Formats: sequence, C-alpha cells, structure tokens
Amino acid sequence: MLDMKAISKVYQTEMVQTHALRDFNLHVAEGEFVAVTGPSGSGKTTFLNIAGMLEPFSGGQYCLDGVDIGKLNDNARADLRNQKIGFIFQGFNLIPDLNLYENVEVPLRYRGIKSAERKRRVEECLELVGLAGRAKHLPQQLSGGQQQRVAIARALAGRPRFLLADEPTGNLDSLMARQVMELLEQINREGATIVMVTHDPELARRAPRNIQIVDGRVTDFTLYQGRSAETPLAAGG
Amino acid sequence: MFELKPTINALMRSKLGAVLLILQLAITLAIVSNAVSIIQDRLTYLNKDTGYPEAEIFKFNALNFDKNLDLLQQVELDEQSLRDLNGVIDATAVSSVVLSGSGSSGGMQLKPEPQESKRVNMGYVTGDEHLLNTLGVKVSEGRDFTEADVVVIDESDARPSVIIVSRALSDELFGQGKGLGETLYWGADPLTIIGIVDTMANQWPKSSFGTKTAMIPMIRVGNFQKFLVRTEPQARAQVMRQIEELMLASHRERVISDVTGLDQKKARYDAKDVLMMRMLMTLIVVLVVVTALGVFGLSTFNISKRTKQIGTRRALGARKSAIVRYFVVENALICSVGLVLGGAAAVLLGQKLMNWYSVPALSYHFIATTAGLLLLMSLLSVLMPALRAANISPSIATRSV
Repeated sequence: MLDMKAISKVYQTEMVQTHALRDFNLHVAEGEFVAVTGPSGSGKTTFLNIAGMLEPFSGGQYCLDGVDIGKLNDNARADLRNQKIGFIFQGFNLIPDLNLYENVEVPLRYRGIKSAERKRRVEECLELVGLAGRAKHLPQQLSGGQQQRVAIARALAGRPRFLLADEPTGNLDSLMARQVMELLEQINREGATIVMVTHDPELARRAPRNIQIVDGRVTDFTLYQGRSAETPLAAGG
Repeated sequence: MFELKPTINALMRSKLGAVLLILQLAITLAIVSNAVSIIQDRLTYLNKDTGYPEAEIFKFNALNFDKNLDLLQQVELDEQSLRDLNGVIDATAVSSVVLSGSGSSGGMQLKPEPQESKRVNMGYVTGDEHLLNTLGVKVSEGRDFTEADVVVIDESDARPSVIIVSRALSDELFGQGKGLGETLYWGADPLTIIGIVDTMANQWPKSSFGTKTAMIPMIRVGNFQKFLVRTEPQARAQVMRQIEELMLASHRERVISDVTGLDQKKARYDAKDVLMMRMLMTLIVVLVVVTALGVFGLSTFNISKRTKQIGTRRALGARKSAIVRYFVVENALICSVGLVLGGAAAVLLGQKLMNWYSVPALSYHFIATTAGLLLLMSLLSVLMPALRAANISPSIATRSV
C-alpha cells in the first residue's frame, strides 16, 4: 500500500539546513494498522505530510498503491489524495461555516460525485459515527469527541483505502479518546489501512504494529496482538 | 462544480463582511452610474456644435465717455475700420454675444400680445446685415438680411419687420420643417421669418432653450457697445492685439475692454460644468478604488482567516483551481446581490436627481455597463488573493497553529 524508500526531507532557509527525514524506509501493507510514535521534532508530522502528499519530499522514492508519487504534478496529487486517502487531524479541521452534512460532503464534491450519491454516502458515514441526527448542526455546536467523529465520517466518505490520522485523540478526554480509537479499530477491521501518529504510548499499543521515529529515521518497531515479526517492515538505519 | 449551495450557506452563516461589501458595491453602483450619466450628458453638451467657428471669432466692448459723440456715426466708423483690417472677414456691433451666458431673451408667439397663443422662449441678438456673416453661419432656407431690413432704433417708432431664426425655434413654433415666410410676434410686433439657420446656439447654450435663437436686424446704439469680429482662421490673435490701438486711434475718449475669443467666452460659461465633471470623475475614481480595495481587503482577510480551512480543503483533494474558484464564486455571489441592490438604488437616485436638479433621466444602459465593469473590477480584485490562497500548502492542515 505505502512504500517509502530512502526518503529524505530537507527544510532549507538562508542560514540553516534542517534534515527532517533521512534515509527513511517504510513499507505498510494493505489492511495494516500502524501507530507511529516518537519525540517532538523527530519527524512524525513530516512523515505524515509526505505520506499524505501534503508536502513534497527532497529525495528517495515513494509509491502509494503502486503509483510513484514523485512523478505526479500538483493536480494529480490532489486527485490521488482525494481518491485514496482519508485524513483525520488532531484539531479536527472541520470547516466552521459548514454544517456537519456539508463538512462530510466536501471531499465528495471535489471528486465530482453526483448529488444523490453524495447524500447517500454522507448519511451513511454520519450514521456510522452516530451523528446522523445532527447533520444540520454546525461544528461549534458539538463536543470535541463528536467533532472528531465528524472528521472520521468525512475521512471515510470518500471510501479511501488508506487513512492517515494525526494525533486523532490528542484533543480529547480519555472517554472520547477510547470511543474514537474503537471507531478506528472497527474501520481497520473492515479493511482500511490506517497509519496513526500519536504521542500516547498506551494508544499506540492498541495498534497491531508500532514504529518509532527518532531524528528523522525509523528506529524501532514493535508488533502486538500476535502479529508476525515478518510483517513487512524496513527500518531505516 | 461551483459549490454554490455550501458557499451561499456559509455566507449566510457569516454575514457581516459580505453585508458591508454588498452595501459598498450598491452605493458605488448607484452613485457611479448616475455620475457617469451626468458626465455623459455634459460631454454631449460640450461637444455639441454651436453652429459658430468659435476659434475665428472674438468680441470686445467699447465704453464711451464723450457726451458729444455721434454714437451711430462712431459705430458705423468702427465697423468699417474693423472690416478694413487685414485678416478680418467681417465685423458688426451687436446687442449681446452668443455663448457668453449674458444677453437678451424673451418669448416669440404665434399671435400678438395680449392674445393667448403658443409662446416659445428664445435668446436673441440684434445687429446689422453683417451679423450672420460675422457669426460664420448661413441660412439653409430663405435669405440673409439686407441693408434695407436693418432698422436703427432711435426716437422714431421704426420697428424691424423681418427675422432670421434657428431651425429649433421655427420647428417648435410652426412644426417640423415649417416656418419660412411665417409671421411670429415679438410682443405685439409682427416679424416675418425670412431665413432659417440649421444650427445656431444662443447666449445660454446649456439652457432648455439653448438652441432656440433669433437674429433681429436692428441697431440700438449706446455708450456701452459690444462688437463681434470674425477673422481668417490663423489671424485672430494678431487682430485681437491690434483692436485697442485701432479703436482709440479713431476716438480716444473711450475704454476698450474684454477683447476675448468666442471659444474663451464659451469656456468661461462652461467652467462650472467642466469643474463638476472633474469632481464627478474624481468621485468615481475614489469610489471605484475604495470598492476595489474593499473587495481586495475582504478577500485577503477571509483568506488569512481561513488559512487552515484552505489547507484542509487542499488536503481533502481540492485542486488549486478549486480554491481559486471558491473565492471567485463567493465574490461573484456577493457582487451579484450588491449590484442588484445597487441597480435599484441607482434608478431611485436617478429619479430623485432628475426631480431635484433637472439632470437627464438615467438610462438603464449606464447601470448595466457600470454594473458589468464593477463586477469585472471585483473579480480582478479577488483574483490575486484567491491565487495566493491556492498556493497555501495543504500541509498547513497538520500544523497545530
């Protein structure tokens, strides 16, 4: 599903060159649930941004579902993001001027899906996250946990095969965090590949596979829940 | 494709900025379309043919102090010396000067006073048989004055019996294309129309009767006498410089003043209109610039307020073109509402201005054209901020601040 080989990312200013990722290698197979941990400034967000094609990488090769991302132009990357990837952000990133229905509908509009099909999918996804009755509400009328569930509905509406979650429970209390995590696990069981960046070791342990990033490299990986150590993984040196 | 419904819904939920811009656009359209209409009307007037070769004609005044002077003889002497001057085509003493905003006006009627009949306001100039030639106009129907037509007003009861009028005056009195040979009445005095001039403005060309002009073959001399002189096209300045010396050489006990070209006279008469036009143009420029800045400012503000939202949209699969389109559509929606309201306001303002200041009725094409240009300006103003928004990196979506 996700295949990164010798990826590097350098942020260049006039005075300083910062290596956010160096010789970064990772393979994530279809259907995996991977938690990515690491200290602040280790390169987790940079990895997430590159994995989600939100920013370009400086070197190496990145293939998503067999497509070489380095060869795509901006429009093609936007289309691929829209079709293959669902994003769940730490701050939920719901659009405050749109109601829940319209928020979930956003990625479907960019895909050019017809109105009736959009309606069906939005209602289905809001139903899945338990918020079908609040479709006309604005995000600010919901609790943090409910907003994150809307964000998950939005991520799922496009039926992506790959979900990228950036600290999805970071702004939630423990009860809400558990509910969101259970929802992600359910989605993973239904076949979606999930890569989740988190600070929380307890949350990370719930994922079948953990990797740790330190100084822009994959330094460690752990397998939980009886998964085989042969699960494809290439740890950078 | 245009995300119309969610864009409208979003605008309805966050109205303040949009409402202010709608008001600004509406006010701009109402004022600018009326101002453009007034400017257009004034420009039409300023470019309108008066009938005279203004750059070849000048006037001057002679104020006599000699109580023993035979005024009629002096006027005839002055006219002759003017006509003999090198470069002069013709000259005549006149009662007033056309295009100057000063002179004599009155009403011409179909029946003698005190009988009730149709009465048309007009401006008139009196002079001798050189009057039309000095003004550089020709009759298109009938004939010019002859020496025999000219009456000198003194102590006798002699009154002129013929008149030459402008086409506008004869049409108004007698109907389209009629009038030659007809009799009209100046008070109780009958005057037969012996000639019609197609275009001949009077002393007040921007008045409602500015084209209704009468030339009367009559000389009434006084201590204060006005003269008109027409010269060869290139000779006017040189002739004007010689006038004072020429007049004083003939008789010294008088003052020669206001030696002024007819075009300069008209420019002075039109000065308020030109000033008004400049002020209106300044107003238009200021309003349009302020509105453009308003659109630009609101778009820029919206974009900086929605940076994260734009990044999120990009992360969710929006192409750059979709971001540009979103802001352009949003702006077009705001503009449309503003321009519809502004169009209605423009019509109302036009009606009020027409009632209060007698400006011409506002034509709808001024509103449509101004609205179109404002829409274009507005779209151009939003384009730069929208392009900047499209360049916001989608990675902004994952940043916590």
